[in-house]
Parts: sequence; C-alpha cells; structure tokens
Amino acid sequence: MSKEELVIEGEKYDPSDRVRADRTDLLYEHIPEGDPLVTVRDLNVTYRTDEKTTVAVDNISFDIRKGELVSIVGPSGCGKSTILRCISGLLQPTSGTIMIGDNKCTTAGSDRGMVFQDFALFPWRTVRKNIEFGLEIAGVPKEERAARSKRYLKAMGLEEFGESRIHELSGGMKQRVGIARAMIMHPAVILMDEPFGALDAQTRNILQESLVNVLKNSSRTIVFVTHSVDEALYLSDRIIVLSKRPATIHKIIDVTGDRPRDRTSPEFEALRKEILTYLQTQNTMYD
Amino acid sequence: MLTIEYDENNRNHRLVRSLLITIVSLVAFLALWWVVTAVMNDKNFPTPDKVFIALWELLLNGDPIGGHSVWEYIAVSLRTFLTGFLMALAVALPLGLTLGYIKPLREFTAPWIEIVRPIAPIAWAPIFVLSFGSQLGPALVVFIGIFFPLLTNIIFGVQRIDKNWLDASKTLGATQGQLFYKVVLPATVPYILNGIKVGLGVGWMCIVAAEIYNKFGGIGQYLVDMVNGGLMANAFSAIIIIAVLGLATTGVAEYVSKVVSRRMGMDA
Repeated sequence: MSKEELVIEGEKYDPSDRVRADRTDLLYEHIPEGDPLVTVRDLNVTYRTDEKTTVAVDNISFDIRKGELVSIVGPSGCGKSTILRCISGLLQPTSGTIMIGDNKCTTAGSDRGMVFQDFALFPWRTVRKNIEFGLEIAGVPKEERAARSKRYLKAMGLEEFGESRIHELSGGMKQRVGIARAMIMHPAVILMDEPFGALDAQTRNILQESLVNVLKNSSRTIVFVTHSVDEALYLSDRIIVLSKRPATIHKIIDVTGDRPRDRTSPEFEALRKEILTYLQTQNTMYD
Repeated sequence: MLTIEYDENNRNHRLVRSLLITIVSLVAFLALWWVVTAVMNDKNFPTPDKVFIALWELLLNGDPIGGHSVWEYIAVSLRTFLTGFLMALAVALPLGLTLGYIKPLREFTAPWIEIVRPIAPIAWAPIFVLSFGSQLGPALVVFIGIFFPLLTNIIFGVQRIDKNWLDASKTLGATQGQLFYKVVLPATVPYILNGIKVGLGVGWMCIVAAEIYNKFGGIGQYLVDMVNGGLMANAFSAIIIIAVLGLATTGVAEYVSKVVSRRMGMDA
C-alpha cells in the first residue's frame, strides 16, 4: 500500500500524509476488516457523591471489529450512553482502558467521531459549513473542503440544502447533517448516541435505510447506542445486550443477513423476541 | 399565492396598528404631562408648550447664556458617550468571554463584581473627573454604566452555550483555542448584542452625572447650567434631547441585535 496512491471518494491521498486529523482511519489501515479495532477492557464508571456511590458501568470488556456496526441495547438508564461517552473521550472512566489499535484513548479526538441524539449542530453555520466544520479546524484547504462536503451533501440527499440554515431543516434532515459531519472526517470509529431517538417512526426508518446505503459504498466502523431492538436488528452486525444498572454484558448476539434486511423475517422475529423478553426482566421501573 | 397575499395584508395591518398605538400613546403622554403640570402650577415643572418653545429656541439660536449651538453640546456628549462605550466593549468582551468560560475565575471574581456593580455611576463622577480630567473622567462614568450590564450579559451568554456544541467540536478535533473562536464566540454573539442594547440605555442614564463637572460641553452640563439659572423649560428641553439620543441609539442596537440573531438562527 505504501507506494501506491490511495484513492478515496475520488480524492487522492499521499499515504505518507496519514496523520492528518481528517483521515485518522488511515492510521489503522494495517488492521484487516473483521479484526478487533477498538478494545474496551474492564471499563468501570462509578459516580461518587457525598451521600452514595453509584456504579453505572461495572467492569465491561468487549471488542469492536473493524468495519462492523455494533449496537448497544439495554434497559433505560443502564449506562449505554455512558459507555459511548467513555469511548469518545468526553467522559473519563473510573478505571479500565480503551484502545484503538495500539493507541490508548484518553481525551476526545477526531479519530472518534460522534453523532448526537439532539444533533448538536451549529445554528450560526449553514448546512455545508456544519459538515465542513471538522475539515476547517483540521486546516483542509477551502476548495478541498467544498469538494468533499459536496459528496456528502449528495450522499445524504441534502444537495439543495447546502446553503440552508439549520433551523430551516426538519429533524430527519438535521440528523443527516449530523451523520455527514461525523463521516466526512473518516474517523477510525463513529459513535452514534441514539441518533434517531428524537425522530418519528417513519423518519427513523428512512434514516436507517440511508445509513445502510451509505455503508454499502463506504466501509465504516460504528458503535450504535439505541433503545430500539428493531433498529439494532435492522442495522447491526452484532448486538451487545446490557443488563440493568450497573451495566454488565448479558449477551453478544451475531446478526447475519445482508442489508437491507427484511424486518418481518422469522429469524428477525425470533431474535427480537429473545432480546425483548430479556429486557423486560431487566426493567427497573417496577422494582 | 393566496396565503402570501393574506400574510402581506396581515403584516401591514399589524404595522399600522402598532404605529397607531404609539401615536395615541405619545399624545396621551403629552396630555397627561400638561394636566399634571398645569394643576401643580409650579415653575420648576413647566408645561410642555413652554418646553417645546425652549427646545425650538435652542435648536435655532443656541443656548440662552453663551450662545453656543446645540450641536456643540451634542457633539461633546456623543464623543463622551462613544469613548465610554468603546472602552466598555473593549474591556467587557474579552473579560466576559473569559469569565464565562473559566468557572473558577468567574467564582473568584464574582464578589468583586457584586461589590462594585451596585455603586451608582454618579458616585464615581467627582472621583473620575478629579483623577482623570474633564475629557476622560466623564467617559469613564459612562463606561461604568455600560460595562456591567454588558459584562453580565456576555457571561450569561457563555454559560448558556449548549454543552453538546462543545462536545461535538471536541470529537471533530477542536483544540481549546478553536473551541473558543469557532464555538464560544459565535454562540455568544446574540448575548453580546443584547448586552450592548441594555448597556447603551444605561449609558445615557449616566450622561448627566458624567457631565455635571464639565466647564463646557455636553448636554448634561447644559441641563445643570439651566437648572442653576432657574431656566426650567430649557432644562427640560435638554431632557428631551437626551431621550431622543437614547432612543435612537438603543433603537439601532435593538434592530441590529434582532437582525443578526435571526440571521444566525439563534433568535430564541
């Protein structure tokens, strides 16, 4: 790979240029697809207040393989998002290590992109400028930024809205911008924190399909937190099922079948039933 | 098409309505002023007709004592005001952003601000004029008036920043400096503009206090001279000039604040 030129999305990259903040995925080129890329070991998050000590995440270990989409599902308030925030570096775990390849994650960085439930878009920027934000702060020249954002506007069906303001968009369109803003940076791993949780059921389905379409053309490693079992089954290669708080791993389920999947197939139904039945036993609402 | 026409009519209708209310309100105000001062029959509180005649005279012939043009007074006041405003902006902007962003620093300086803020600007006037002269002294009084509302608005604005914006920026690789210039600063602009609007209003409240000790210059000093000379109608005409100046500047500030906030998609 070292001598040939890398062509990604029509742009040529010099392989020696691989430490750029906008192409951190190139740092992990040597790891084959399907091998562990992110390793989470003995992750523990404990909140201490004067009155009491609350263990939110209890010594969890798991791997995220390169090129896969892993969902984390679990009962409400079990610490799904806490795990994701630890991987992102926005939250410091009480103990445990998170590695990407051979690099230990301590603070947040552009190698772990994030998509937020409430979008977290910048209202003072246009759609295009929101998508280009990461490239801009990485010092990518203006022409290249424009060329790259144009492709993501197209991939996300936002071509006509590049110069629109955020408040002019619907919720579904806002999250398309959020996904494009994270993906354009080619992070080593993309963390999605209930990305479709604020959307209505129909918009949700449409966005799930959009995500599947994007992943067909561009291999990405994604950790996807959701409270929707249906969504996890539709999107994931593997599903990590968590127990109630303090979160431990109940089971990791392999989901087979090429995407787009049939939401009504018998295998789908069986898995859905299995997971939902377990989650019901973990429901803390009636404790 | 129909709905657009309907909206347009509705908009014009609302505009005419609010204009009418303003006019009726002003007329009622003048009437009330007239009745109250006529009943009081006190030469210290002239009826509006006397005040507007004095204002007309002032605009045409200058002041009744030295014969200086009203524009000379206004020019001095505007210079004082603008100097005070620019100083307040230059200090409050970096300070407010910093204090809003760095919590320990904000907590440390909060008592200082709370001690100094309640002191009336007029209390500073003699001290400032004595220490800094009749040029800088009055401007500093205006500075004090504008500074605190501006500062507290900016600090409030930084604290109100959506934490998700900062988190998102960090996961996109932003450094601390980039967070500040690309997120904190733009996100605070509507609050800065609102602080300017409020500060300008308070600034005009300080102009008379600021200019009390002036030998020449300033609409505030003119007012004090007229009161000392017993020319109350002339003194009230100065009040009207200050009111118009205040209304004009805060009106412009409010308009700019509204337009910019809307364009930034941040009119809450």
